[in-house]
Parts: sequence; C-alpha cells; structure tokens
Amino acid sequence: MADVTRQFFEGLAAKGHEPLLESFTGTLRFDLRDGERTEHWYVVLTRGDIVVAHDDGDAEAVMGTDLATFDAILSGEMNAMAALLRGVVTMHGRSILLLAFQRLFRGSVGAGDELRTAGYSRERS
Amino acid sequence: MSSDVKILDGNTFVVSDNAGDIDASLTDPTGLFSFDTRFLSKWVLTIDGRRLNPLSVDDLQYFEARFFLVPGTGTVYVDAKLSVIRQRAVGGGFHEELTILNHDDKAVDLDVRIEAGCDFADLFEVKDALKKSGDYFQRIDGDRLVLGYRRETFERETWISATAPATVDEHGLTFAVTIAPHGSWTTDLHVATGMDAPGQGVAHPKYERNAKKARPNMARSLDKWLDEAPRLECDWGSLKATYQRSLVDLAALRFSPVALPGHYLPAAGLPWFMTMFGRDSIFTSLQALPFSAELAATTLTALALWQGSQIDDFRDEDPGRILHEQRFGEMTAFEERPHSPYYGCADATPLYVVLLDEYERWTGDTRRVRVLEATARAALDWIDDYADLQGNGYISYKRRNEKTGLENQCWKDSWDSISYRDGRLPGFPRATCELQGYAYDAKMRGARLAREVWKDLAYAERLEKQAADLKRRFNRDFWVQDGEYFALALDADGGQVDALASNIGHLLWSGIVDKNKARKVVRHLMGTRLYSGWGVRTLAEGEGRYNPIGYHVGTIWPYDNSFIAWGLRRYGFKEEAARIAAGILDAAEFFEGRLPEAFGGYPRELTKYPVQYPTACSPQAWSTGAPLLLLRTMLGLEPIGDHLVVDPALPQGIGHLELLDIPGRWGHIDAFGRGTVDVARMGRGRKQLGVLPADAVRPTARPREHKH
Repeated sequence: MADVTRQFFEGLAAKGHEPLLESFTGTLRFDLRDGERTEHWYVVLTRGDIVVAHDDGDAEAVMGTDLATFDAILSGEMNAMAALLRGVVTMHGRSILLLAFQRLFRGSVGAGDELRTAGYSRERS
Repeated sequence: MSSDVKILDGNTFVVSDNAGDIDASLTDPTGLFSFDTRFLSKWVLTIDGRRLNPLSVDDLQYFEARFFLVPGTGTVYVDAKLSVIRQRAVGGGFHEELTILNHDDKAVDLDVRIEAGCDFADLFEVKDALKKSGDYFQRIDGDRLVLGYRRETFERETWISATAPATVDEHGLTFAVTIAPHGSWTTDLHVATGMDAPGQGVAHPKYERNAKKARPNMARSLDKWLDEAPRLECDWGSLKATYQRSLVDLAALRFSPVALPGHYLPAAGLPWFMTMFGRDSIFTSLQALPFSAELAATTLTALALWQGSQIDDFRDEDPGRILHEQRFGEMTAFEERPHSPYYGCADATPLYVVLLDEYERWTGDTRRVRVLEATARAALDWIDDYADLQGNGYISYKRRNEKTGLENQCWKDSWDSISYRDGRLPGFPRATCELQGYAYDAKMRGARLAREVWKDLAYAERLEKQAADLKRRFNRDFWVQDGEYFALALDADGGQVDALASNIGHLLWSGIVDKNKARKVVRHLMGTRLYSGWGVRTLAEGEGRYNPIGYHVGTIWPYDNSFIAWGLRRYGFKEEAARIAAGILDAAEFFEGRLPEAFGGYPRELTKYPVQYPTACSPQAWSTGAPLLLLRTMLGLEPIGDHLVVDPALPQGIGHLELLDIPGRWGHIDAFGRGTVDVARMGRGRKQLGVLPADAVRPTARPREHKH
C-alpha cells in the first residue's frame, strides 16, 4: 500500500517541476502515521520547482493523516476535502500551499478518458 | 411569530427573534451558523424564569445588532423597573454584551439565566429536515460550557463563557445578580465555534482572544471599503441611495476563502448562500469591476485553486471545470452531498475566462493573468474536451450524479425553466443558448490574452478560428426562422427548444449574434412580450409556461437585466440600454435600494409597483451588483488600452450624474453624463422626469491627477 505514497513523492521528485504550482513558493510536510511510526515527506516548492526529501523538517504547511488514508486519497478512493472536514486529515500553517498542492493528488489518479468528448473544434481547426 | 434579526461576518451568522433569543427546532432556520453548521440552536435569556419582551431592535451594522428589552408580559403599556440591553456582534462565533439597568430606588436581586443548546445541524438538514447519526455531549471546563457533537472523527464544539461569575450547568449559565438602586450590571458572553480535528484543539474565536477590538476592526474595514469606492453625485436621490445600499450590502456579502485570509470574494447571498459559487461569484465580480477589482482578483485566484482535475461522477467534476458550489457541513464531510466542492454547472468555466480578460482590461494586472494561464487554458480545453456532450460543437449539460446533482446546470436552474413554446420540457443533454455565447466570448477573450499577455500567437489564432466557426454555426442552428429570435436551447436530438426567453439578451453581451440579427433580437427584448416596463421577463408572455410570478418563467431578474443592458450597449443600442436601466433602477426605489433576486413580470401599467417574489435570501449578490453594472452601462464605461472611454446615455429625468474616482489602469477617472434618453414615465420613479437640461449631452471623462 505504501507504494502509492512513495511512488507519488518519487514521481514528483523525478519530475522536478509542476506548472500548476508556478505561483507558489514555500515548504510543506506530510506526516503520515503507520501504526507506531510516522513517515515524513518534506517538499520544498520554489515557483513550481519541486525538491522532495524523506525527512522531518520545519515546514510552513503541515498535513497529517494516516498512511492508508493518504494512499486512498492518491488513488482516488477518498476525497481529500471531505476527509479534511471529517477530521481524518488535518492541516496546519499556510493552508493555501496545501490546497494548491492537493490538485496534484487528484491529478495522480489514472482516470480513464472515456468522458472526454470528441473535441469538435479541435478536430476541425 | 416575531420577525428575524440577522447579523453576519463571512459565513458565520446569527438569526434570532427580535428579543435576541434563539429557540429553533431542526427545520427552523434560526441559530448561530458557521461553515454551514449550526453551532447554537437554543440561546434564551430569562430573568427570574421569565422571558423578556422586545421594545426595539437596532441593526447597527450588518455584523452587529442591539436589542432593548423589558420584563413582563405582553401588555400595551410597559412600566418596568428594569431594562435589558443585549448588544451582539458576530465573528468566529459571537460576542454579546448583556446589560441590566435597575430604574428602581431599591436594590434588586435577580436570577439571570442563559439557556443554551445545540443540534449541530448541517444547513442541508435544516432545509430537508434530516436526522443526525452522531452523538451529542456536554462538558463543563472550569467556567466554560462546552456543547459538542461527534460522529466518528467528525467533531464540532461550541464554547460558551461569561466575564461575570456564573454557575455553569450542562444547559446554560446562571448569574445571581444584585443591582444597586439606579445601578446596572453587565457581563460579556462569548460563544466560540470550534471545528478543528480531535486532539488538535478547537479554534479560538476572534472575540475570545480580542473581544474589545473585533468590532472596531470590522467597522474600519467597512469604512475603508466605502471610502475606496467611486463617489456618485446625482440629482436623482433614489439612485444615490440605491448605490450606497449596494456598496454596503456588497461589503456584507464579502467572503474570505479559508486559503486566502484577508482577501474577499462575493458570496452568493445572505445568509444561506454565504459560500463560494462559481457562477454567482463571477457574475457579481464582473458587475463590480468598475467599483472594486479586488472581488474579481480573489474570485479568479480562489476558483483556480479548486479547478477540477479529475473525472468524478459524484461531484460532476471534469479536468478544467470551474466549481459550482462549496460547502463545509457534516453531510458534505460524509459524502452524503457532493459539495466538496460540487462542479455541476456548465457556465462558470467559460465565464471564468471572460472574467479574467475583463479583469485585465480594467486593472492591467498582467502578472495575475500570467499566473493563471494554466488555469485559463484548462478552462478553455474543458469547453471542447468535456462540455461537448453531443459531439456537435456546443456546450451541453447532463448530470452524472443522478441522486444529489443538479438537473439544470445553467443559471435558470429550476426544473421547468427550459421549455418549448407549448410548455413541453426537453430531455437531456440540453444545450442552452447563452452557454454558446459564453463559450464564444471565452474563446475571443482567451485569444486576446494569448496574443497580448501569454505571447502565444498560434494559440490566439486557433481560438479565434474556433470562435468564428462557433458563431457561424450558432447563428444558423439556433435561429428560429418563424419567430426571428434565438432558440432557448437545442435538445438531445439537436432540435430547437423554441420558447422566447431573456437568454437572448445574454447573447448580445457575449457578442455571438450576427450584426444583421441584432436588431431583431432587440425588438423582441424591448417588445411587450418580454419587456414589462420594469424590465425584461425571464420568459415571454404567451409562452406555454409563462407565469408572471414563476421563478424562471416570467419574473424579472435585476441581474439578468443588467447583463442584457451591457449586451445592448455592446451592439450600440444605447437608448434601449438606458430604458432597461431606468426600469430596474425605478424598481429599486420601491425596494429602498435593495433589489430582490426577482420580482413579478406583471405589466408596469397594471401593478404600478414591482411585485416582490418571495425569497429566503436577501441581499442576493448579483442583484446587489445590478445597479453597479447599470451605472456602467448608462455611462458607457469601456476600458480601451490604458484609457477609460465614457459614452453616456442616461434616461431623461437624470439631470446630471457624476461617478468620481473610477479606479483602473488609468489611475482614477471621473465620468459625467446628463439624461437625454426618452423613457417611459410611469409610477413614482424619477420625480424630476421630463426636465431636459438646456445644454443637452456632453459626454466627458477627466483623468485625475491625484491617486488615493
């Protein structure tokens, strides 16, 4: 299960840049509980450039939940905002960083493209 | 039943009776609400076991009220030895200053009690009378009463405390009070709302931390807001009053999204719609642009944060789609409602691009347009990639969430709003006409931004080519030959849904109407079937479903009319635009400057006054914005490059009108106009009507040297 989370962060690190986050700069930390231990992921965001570390540093925005929940969010089984309202996920600090960042969670779902329409204008131009 | 008193700050609001008491059953819409949850359903003051009688209520500001009360029963003459003042201000809960005055020359001993309780209902539960599935608890923390509700990890708490010594039990606070002859007693009551996660502690309310400062801060923010808005000088007193009312109401409707503290966008309506709505926030921001660009800036940024990124049938979400509505209550948390956020609207996405371009025209803020480039491109892609459900090159809608999603995803969202002439309702998908206009405008404006800001000429040309193709097809496929107007929609078979409706006015605003068809459209808009004398009806008289008090099938919507007036200006029909403005602004006088969401479509000569449609929400954001946009259309304000063009066409009866210090990329500019357009003279509007100023029109614009 934890592979989903690891793949997500390692994928981000490998990509190194995210156009959706180009107007954001800051540090984020994800505290993911897994039984007795807590796994930490640390992200330094500089105008869309992303550096990922697997450690526990001071961050401007912190998201906390358990690893299974985070996996479920990344795989599209759980909605992050609803989870936040239920108290399953917590947010502290500069929430705008986390709200901007959470678009990448959903983007990571391998959504089927069956609903994509024909693209009428595109085909004809 | 005593009338409700409402005060609010963002999405926190208190609705009480006119004694200041709250005693709500599940479906009573009274209480303290915050983030779509009721945090108090009972708040009753008694002295010696008896409730108090209201003498008067002062709505001091939209965020505070003062109640004057006396003990005793409902006799006509009151000769009380006591009076009671409750002064209440809202913000992160509320703060209440309770004062009791003893008018007797003897000391008095009193048993003062506040009875408190809460059902923690979700707003949706209040609306639909649904049962709760969690558990309630009460707790006494020292001198504080905590009311709570828990369902799994979902937890909400209300903290109640007082500055005076009190005996706290699980249902309230009791004060044993002795007041000297001609003396007084006071306590501050704090009600704090908490919605943080368990173990993280409950958020402190603004007042808990800083009780004495919160109110002045709010008042200052209102003063600053009014001070920064352009000043209106006019010999039509009613218009000045309407303008002032609109500014104050718009201030009350400001909503700061959680992610953007200190920045405000317009929520949809007060108090039940104090949240982000894609469509309402965008339309209101457009109306308000000449007066405050901040609302548009925050709307654009906030909606971008929540732009759809995946396919989610429950939320009717697609990549690139702009949200419809966001909510924070229990039913949203447990996914019994899809509002986290919900995306089921077909117009907000193209309108987002329209707002981005209009914002840049006024402000010259190219930085924000660059930051939002990816968002705007994704929105434009959505039009082609996800909204063309029928593969015919038109936006249409059909909900995928069949249980709790919205059937009609256009602004006329009631069940019977889209009909054929004979009253039949079409199936789904439905491609309403105004959606195609918005798509056309979005592509044209997107092209301008691509060319001038994003520096992508190939993209600009592609968008323009698509827009031209859309316009050509639209004028062919939607044109109702035998009626000479545009069909309300195309149905699932591509057939015309042929009722005549106000939507054709939005088409003018979007610019999708061929020049040679515009005059015919205008003739319909100003003809007796659509135009009542007050404004354009949502549906024309004579259509199968026409009803002058039908929500979207015959009433007149001030917001709708303000965009129709803008459309008339766009095609050069200045005088007709002035007539629309005159009618709606006349109506505003009857509503003391606060235009309702909608009013009856009866002919003006029949009723002499506009008949209000009963609605729960007032003020409504886009009705509040309507007079602002009508001022813009009357003055003919249009940003061209770094200049603001002023081209007034005012109804006769307005001797002079000056809008001073209009902010924009030009600094500040003043605009002037005089009334010259002959309009119908009925009712009691514009008493000085018919007095044509001797020196006729002189459109003027004067740049201001100074900056504020």
